[in-house]
Order: sequence, then structure tokens, then C-alpha cells
Amino acid sequence: MIDISGLISTIMNNSVNIPLLYVIYEFLLKIPVLGGIVAFLLDFSILGMPVVKSIIGFVLWKPFFTLIIIPGFATLGTMLLVLPWLERKLVGRMQWRVGPREIEPYTRGSIQLLADTFRFLFQEVIIHKDAHKHYFLQFPFLYFIPVLLPLLFINAGAAGHPLVPIQTDYALQIMIALVSLMPVFIIGAAWAANNRFSFIGAVREAFMYFAYEIPFIIAVLAMIVLYGTSNTAEVISGVNQSSWLNWGIILNPFAALTFFIAMAMATSRLPFDIPEADQEVAFGPFVEYTGIVFGLAYIMAYEKAYVLAAIMTMLFFGGGSGPVIPYLGELSYGIWFVVKTLIILLVLVNLRGVYPRYRIDQALSIGWGAMLTLALFALVWSVVVVVVIGVII
Amino acid sequence: MENPNEHIDFLESGPLAPLKKWSAKWSLWPCHFITSCCGVELAHAFACGYDGERLGTLNLGISRQSNFIIIEGTITRKMARALKFVYGQMPDPKFVNVIGACGERGGIFWNSYNITHPSDIVPVDFFIPGCPVTPESLLRGVRALQDKIMGVDKKTIEFKKVELPFEEKLEERMVPTSPKIYAPTPEIKVDVKRVVDWDFGKELEHTLRKELKGLFESITITGTNTIAIRTTPESLMEVARKLKGQMNFDHVKSVNVIEVPHERKYIVEYMASSYSVEELMPVLITIFTEIGIKNPKIQSLMSVWEGANYSERELHEFFGVWFEGNDWMGKKFLLAPDTPDLPLRKEFKIPEDRYVFEKDVEPEFMVPIEPPKDLYTPIWEEFIEEAYDSDEIVVPIGPHHPGSGHLRVTFRIKGDRIVDALPEPGFVHRSMEKLAENKLYIQNIPLFERLAINDPVNMNLAYVRTVENALGIEVPERAQYLRTILAELSRIEAFYYDAGIFSLFFGHTTGFMYCMAIREMIIEPLMHISGSRCGPSFIVPGGLRRDISDDVLGMIDNITFAIHKRAKKFESIFVTNPVTIARAKGVGVLAKEDAIRCGMVGPFLRASGVNYDVRKVAPYEAYDKLDWEVTTGDDGDCLGRFLGRLEEIRESVKIVKQGVDVVKGIKGPILSEDILGEYKEASSDIKGNFFRVFGNIVLPKGEWTTITEAARGTTLFTINSDGESNVPYRVRVMSPCWMNLKGFMEAVKGERYADFWAVYGSFGYFPPEADR
Repeated sequence: MIDISGLISTIMNNSVNIPLLYVIYEFLLKIPVLGGIVAFLLDFSILGMPVVKSIIGFVLWKPFFTLIIIPGFATLGTMLLVLPWLERKLVGRMQWRVGPREIEPYTRGSIQLLADTFRFLFQEVIIHKDAHKHYFLQFPFLYFIPVLLPLLFINAGAAGHPLVPIQTDYALQIMIALVSLMPVFIIGAAWAANNRFSFIGAVREAFMYFAYEIPFIIAVLAMIVLYGTSNTAEVISGVNQSSWLNWGIILNPFAALTFFIAMAMATSRLPFDIPEADQEVAFGPFVEYTGIVFGLAYIMAYEKAYVLAAIMTMLFFGGGSGPVIPYLGELSYGIWFVVKTLIILLVLVNLRGVYPRYRIDQALSIGWGAMLTLALFALVWSVVVVVVIGVII
Repeated sequence: MENPNEHIDFLESGPLAPLKKWSAKWSLWPCHFITSCCGVELAHAFACGYDGERLGTLNLGISRQSNFIIIEGTITRKMARALKFVYGQMPDPKFVNVIGACGERGGIFWNSYNITHPSDIVPVDFFIPGCPVTPESLLRGVRALQDKIMGVDKKTIEFKKVELPFEEKLEERMVPTSPKIYAPTPEIKVDVKRVVDWDFGKELEHTLRKELKGLFESITITGTNTIAIRTTPESLMEVARKLKGQMNFDHVKSVNVIEVPHERKYIVEYMASSYSVEELMPVLITIFTEIGIKNPKIQSLMSVWEGANYSERELHEFFGVWFEGNDWMGKKFLLAPDTPDLPLRKEFKIPEDRYVFEKDVEPEFMVPIEPPKDLYTPIWEEFIEEAYDSDEIVVPIGPHHPGSGHLRVTFRIKGDRIVDALPEPGFVHRSMEKLAENKLYIQNIPLFERLAINDPVNMNLAYVRTVENALGIEVPERAQYLRTILAELSRIEAFYYDAGIFSLFFGHTTGFMYCMAIREMIIEPLMHISGSRCGPSFIVPGGLRRDISDDVLGMIDNITFAIHKRAKKFESIFVTNPVTIARAKGVGVLAKEDAIRCGMVGPFLRASGVNYDVRKVAPYEAYDKLDWEVTTGDDGDCLGRFLGRLEEIRESVKIVKQGVDVVKGIKGPILSEDILGEYKEASSDIKGNFFRVFGNIVLPKGEWTTITEAARGTTLFTINSDGESNVPYRVRVMSPCWMNLKGFMEAVKGERYADFWAVYGSFGYFPPEADR
């Protein structure tokens, strides 16, 4: 016999606290007929277990909430639908255009991505005869693993209120390892496609990978040194990031800059759109992909960008810290986190409207030269800051 | 193509049909199939101003990921293979729109030997007429396709019978179809002697006689700035060597072959000029010789003038003349494998050009229009073997590639460096030279305008000037200024198109959009003047079609200020962008000697440090009366070529402003009395008397050559007339892009793979202009 009441109390004790729900509940109870129905529904129970209550409780149970809602899959899915649309709208604005609109004029074409997704879904998937059939189809799906697993370690909370599915001392290391794994699948997909342009794209991807990966890791290392921990839950409260004066970007702007450039390189955004340059190698590794498989590959870059932007928010922008929104309780941290991540992503995608594309050798010299130097300097700077803070406090 | 509607049927099947249809409707990603001039209007349709992305159509350019082809204009026999191939690569369900008149049944090129009909190759959903189409109608075509996908049956046009009030007068108002007169045994003479007031010419003739003693048969002055040297096939090479070595005629402007079938001979001629000596710059020396029609062989002058290389290859395909020493003889270069052989010979006849066919009369097509069977135009095997032996990778770019336009270049790449680049033009070869032989002189104006639809006025002017030169017409002063203004507007338009493509090749879409926005502003007055966005056909022999009112002139003046404002924004976002400078500086360097050797023209020659501009060297229209300067650079790299053209835009704006100020004070006719003859009342507006005045122009006997500075460089027109026919016997067009192709390929070699696009953009290579 399962101890249901014990289970429920465990869930209730570890749930996201949103006072707004109680306010709504009390307001509903005051309405004559509706109040009765609500009261009945909430009291309705089978085998001594209140059904609706426990469903709400389960949704608000922290491990579930963080993994599925904020900052997990629901946020990711919304971002994927909204971000390309926002990108097209904003870049369109920069270019004196309007961007997608006619599909839903009242909301300025906000469901454009849905149409694109369904169109890809209903399109033929072509596997050309030169391709290695199994790998050609497997790699885009395998790509999901390193992209989705980092969601387990993203902390959307603020100091003292972590909103993270799994707390571990090695969270940042695992995330970096998973992020570093992504290009392997791109190169594999390009190899399986067996096309000249995808070969060139794969070689470019590999070169770029080495160019940004080392500065990227050193930049994160600098922040780990600064905070003295790599647990995403403690990173937020490490140097008391709840005050914006203690944000990572203030304490170590060099690491932030390196991280941002590495992010642009890792997600193949302009000006480092080199492996997928459509004028040069026609989407490089993905040149032969059609239909929903291409749709996955197309959307995967945005997922990667979301993961990296989330890490950047945690390390440099204080995670979910911000002015507390009344009645929202712990949810307000999640909202601040999403807003910050979205702003970082918008800055990232809008680079497309401003910069042309670098050549591969120029990008490599930026990676191995300027960025590596900057990253090493950021590491030294972190040590200095730690020592200075240690002396002061 | 069993079921032309199979893609629509697929969308309508199954329980998810509404979702399928809805998503396909709002997500038509065109894999734009730029095949001809309509590509310019497609760029406008998807740029700011019209913004095709409103409809959810994202211009992608990659076949595998798109579901919609927009075929832009002419499908030549070479391009038909690419079309078939690309259509096959696209995933189902897919749709096809064809824009432009020449995509339907050929349009202005309907009797060309090199075109096919897209509807024979792929199932077409919608035809959008227009030459070129306007962006509005292009987007309307997209809307129509969306309606078709949703199953809405909309009639796009409702036909109504209209009672004309002037029906009894209709007989008079019909366009008179001038009968074409072909002389049965035309007398073709290249060196018709003319008495001209040209002292330097007499001096030069004297020098030539001294230098070339014993090598020539005759030396004739055929007009101001042109001298013809008749020689024998054996001493042709020696004459060329002497001209280059001792007289400094360092490049060749044109190579031409004229077939005279009834005399059983070919006339082969080379036109040389000089970039190194200032007095010789305007002079065109024609060396020509005659060879028999049977087994026509002649020594190639490629070893003397390298710029002759591609033209010799082309003429070999057109006439079968074998240039000994050119390594490309016996291979196809411009034409497709299944194009009829030797198409420019007189015995190869194309259908007669007619505007209205009587009912029930099927036009006879002597030209094959069925689509080609095989899919590939192969890359030469030796080339591939040689490349793999030396550990290099062969990468073909184009003709359908997001960053190539309709040119195929096959690279041999070692590491990241381009070892060798083999160009393969001819994907837009619409055979203008052949078509022109079957049209009246006046009918050729819109034809040659389609050389470069983004630089229409200059192309128009170049042809009309040749006709005027032959007829000896002086253009009235007001018309001269107006022509200058229009030509400069066209130049600005062309340069901004090139700048837009340059920024697009760097992945900088914002710069592209800004450039297109500036172009829109220049198109606006052209529309006010002529009613057409891109093909005004406004300049006619003797002047202009109509007078331009002061309102429109004031508008042009205002627009020069507006351009300035937008150009500043373009400069701040793209030109001064550090990434642009890093990509373009020091890349694709073409040194001065190389530029001269390859026979470069226009701003690309000036960027390499040669101070040569036809507008200054041999001034025409009102250029010598206005204050402006020639822009030259020293670097000869991509950035230099790009910035040089931006500098020229400033000079052009200066010319336009001055011209507008001056022309407001000049009153007078806009058509020369020489050409009007008895129709003097038409001197301010040709409307109503057009065909009576221009229908039967006959050029005097001889060869007429004119050089004009179009946007991308010197355009040379040579018209051969027999003095009896009212159609030209032969027209030779040397368009700037064709002349620049050699230098373009030279500049690419040794650079990195990604630099090809920097070089491509910086040369402003426009394939329709090059392929003719």
C-alpha cells in the first residue's frame, strides 16, 4: 500500500509557491454558482485522494515544474516558435520591411513558424542514393540528446530559491561537455550526406569548433573560479548575484564578451555563419536534408542558442534575480530568467542584420588569437577579483 | 508529368487535408530560379518596398529545402537541364510559377534558336506575364497560387467586350507592319572610305603605313576614330604583333566574323585599341581579313591579345571558324550540346518576326523547341582526372546555387585555395545577334535593352548611337541633356544593384535591402517618364520619344537628395562595416598590367589604375559640357572596385543635378529634323508617327562601330549594313560583362574558396549581359 498522503505532503512541501493561485481560488469561491463548483471539484476525491488538488500539486512540484515548464521543455518550445518569428520581424524592421504578416494580420504573423513546421512535416523526406542511409537519418535525431540533456541543469531561480531539476556539483561541467558534443553530430550528418558542399561545411564546422571551444571553456572556467562552485544552484547565490552590481558581467566583463562571441560561433550566427553560409556552401552540412529532418536541423541551432543563452544568464546576468513581482512568488524568478534569456537571444539573432560574414581563416584567427587571449585574461581577472573580494570581506 | 495536379491532390487527401493546405499556403519557400532579367524584379519583390516575406515566402535559393520554384524568364537550352534537375531535387509537394513573357512562349525572344518553353519541362501552376514583370504582379502570382492551394477558383481577369467609340477609325490606327526588305546579294564591305575632318587620323594612317610596310593590303579611314586595315590571313598575326609591340594597341575591343555566303567567304576582324597612350585611346583599329567558307581556318590572336580568347571560342561555335592556337576549338563554351550547330550562319533560318498571327495559322518553327533529354552538361573528364591526380577537389558552382546566378564555374581547390577556375557562361544566351538580323532597326531597341535590364538606358543609348552614327544625325541639344540625365540615372541604378548583390554575397541582407530601396527611388522617375519600371525604350534615333516635363525634372532633382540620405545609411551599415573591409581588402587583386592584358573595361579597369572612360575619351551627348571627374583607383582589389563605383555614383549624381539645371533653360525640339523628314510636327512627341518615321530606316553601306560607356563598362556595337536592306546584316555586341569575364577569372585564381563571392560581387557580373 502506497502512502498517498505521505507522497502528497512530500510533493506539497517541495512545490513552487505562487500566492496568486490562492487569490484566484478565493475570488472564485465568492462567485455564487461557480464558487460551489470550484469547491466541489477541489474536494472531489477518489480513494481518499483529492484528484484536482493533486494534479495541481504535481504540476507545481519543483522537479516536474522545472523540467517541463520553466526553464524546461515548455519554455524551450515557446522560444522555438517565437524566436525565429521575432528574428524575422526584427531583422525585417531593420531592413525597412515588415516581415511575415499576412498569415495572421492581427497578431503580426505570430503563427508563421507553425505553418513552416507543418509544411516541413508534410513534405517528402528524400534520401538520395549517394547518402549513407542510416547515419543520414539517425544523426539529426541523435543531435537531440546533447541539446535536450542540458535542460536538466538550467537553474531559473534566484539566490536561495533554485528552480533546477537536478542539483549537482558538476552541473556546469556536464553542460559544457554536452554542448561540446553537438558539432560531432553535425559533422556526422554532413559526412553521411556525401555531398561536396556538406564536406566543405563539415570541415569548416570542425575548424570553427576548435577555434571557439577552448576560449569558451576557459571563459566558463573563469566564472567557476570566481564563484567557487560549478553547481548551477549555488552559482546564482555565489557572490550574491541578486544585486545587479554583483552580476557576472560586472565582475568579469571579459569572460562575458568571450562567452558571447563563442556563442555566436557555436550557433553559426552571422558574422560567424561560416559552416552554413548559404551563398557559399548552401547550408553546408544540411544541404541534402529535406522535409521534417531539415526542419529539425534548422530548429536545432535555436535550441543550442537557448541552452547557451541560459548558461549565459546564469553565469553573467544573475539568473532569475530581479524585482519580485507581487503575488507571483517563486514564479517571478522564472519570468525574469526567461525575459533575460530572450533578450540575450534577440541580441544574438539580430547580429544577422548588422554584420556580413567573416572568412574561415579570419574567424579562426579571431578564435585562436583575440578570443583565447581575452579568455586567458578573463581567467586571471577572476583570480584577482576573488582575491580582492576575499581581502575586503 | 502524368498528372499535372498531383501536388494539389496530395494536399487534399487524407484527414489532415485542411492542415496540409493551410501550412503549404503560408509557407511557400521559393527556390528562386534566376534565369534572366526578371531576377532583378524578383529581388525587388522580396526586398523592402514590396516585401514578399509578408506572405510567408522566404527566399531560400536551395532546392532541397524549398517547395516552390519561381522561374524568372528565359529558359535556354542549357538552363533547361538545370531546371529539370532542380525540380527533381525538390521534395513533394512542389509548385512552379513562371514569370516574364519569355517564360511563356518566348516573348521577345520567341524565335531564338536557344530557348525552350518551361511548360514543356515542368508542370507550371501560374504564368505571370510582363517583360519584365512588376513586383506587384509577381506577388499577385504568389497570392493566386495560395488561392489555388486552398481550392479557391478565382478568375484573375474577367474579359469583357468593350465598344470602342472610334471603331471606324481603327483601320488607320493599326500598327503598320513594315515589310522587311532583304537584299538578295548584299554587298558587304567593311572598309568603306569616308572623308572626315580628323587630322590625327591622317597622321596615324601615315604611321601605320610606315610601320606595317608589306603586311597590309589597304588602310582606310572609315570614320572619325576608326581605321580599317585589310590584310591577308597569313600576315594577320604579324600585323597584330606590330600593332601591339610598336604602336601600343594593347587590348582588343571586339572580335567579329561576318559571313557572306554568296561570295563564299568569311570576314574575320579584330578591333584593337589602346589603354596606355592617351591619344590612341579613342581610336579603334580594325584589322580584317577574308577566308574561304570551306574549311575556314585562321590563326588565333590569343597569344597577342589575351582578351580575344573567349570571343574566339564563341565565334567558333557561331560560325565554325577554326582559330588555330586557341585551345578550346571543337568544344562547347557558350552553347548547349543540343543547340543547333553554327546558328549564326545565314543558311540557318529562324522564323520570321511577326507581331500578329492570323487565326488558324500555326507559326512554323524551324528551331527545335522540345526540351533536352539528358540531364547534365558534363564537366570535362581530363579536367577532373588532372585535378584528382594532383590531390585537389573539384567543386562546381552553379548554374543553380544561392550565390552564383546563372554562371557555372568549376573550381579546382587545393586546401582552401582556388587553383583553377573554369567559367561556363551561356546559361542566358538568348541569341540577340541572330534575332537582330531579323528585325527592323527600330525593333531592335527593346531587344538590346534586355542585355542588362538593370542598366537599360545605357544599352538603349549604345545601340541608338550606332544607328545615329551611321545616319549622320545630330541630336538636338535638349535631347542630348535629357539623354545624359537618363543614362546617369540608369548608371546609378545598375551600381546599386551590384552593390546590393555584393552585400548579399557576404550574407549581409540589410545592405541588399537598402540598395534595393535606393533603386526603387530611381525607378520612380523612369516610370513617370516612360511608364515602364525597367525597360523604358525611351531613346530613339534622333532624340527621345517624348519631351520630359519640368515637373518630372524637378522630381529627379529631389530624388538626388533623397538618394544621398539613404546612401549614407547604406554606407554606415555596410561600407564602413569592419567585416566588409576585412573581407574585401586585398582580395582578388588585378594589377594594372593584368587588367590591360585581359581587356577589362569600365569601373573595373579604372579601379586597377587605368584612366579610361569613354565619356571623357570620346565624349558623346552632353558629357563634355558638364563638370565631372573620372574616378580611378590604384589597388585593383575588391574593395577598390566596390568603393570606386560608389564614388562614381557621386559623380553621376553631380552630372544629373547639373543636367537638370541646364536643361530647364533649354527649349527646343527633342527629335532631330534629319530623321523626321516630312513629319516635322512630331518634333516634340513622336506619338502617332512612330512607324512612319522609323519604320524604314536603311543604314548606308559599310560597317558602323560605336563605343559607349555603360554602367559596367564600354559597350561596343558593330552594325554591318549592305545599304539596301532595312534590317541589319550583322550586329555584333560586345557587352562589358563579357569583356570582364576573363579578368574576373584571373582575379579569382589563388584566392580562398570563400573569396570567390567577394570577387564575383565586386565585378558586378550580370550573366544576361555577358551571354547576350
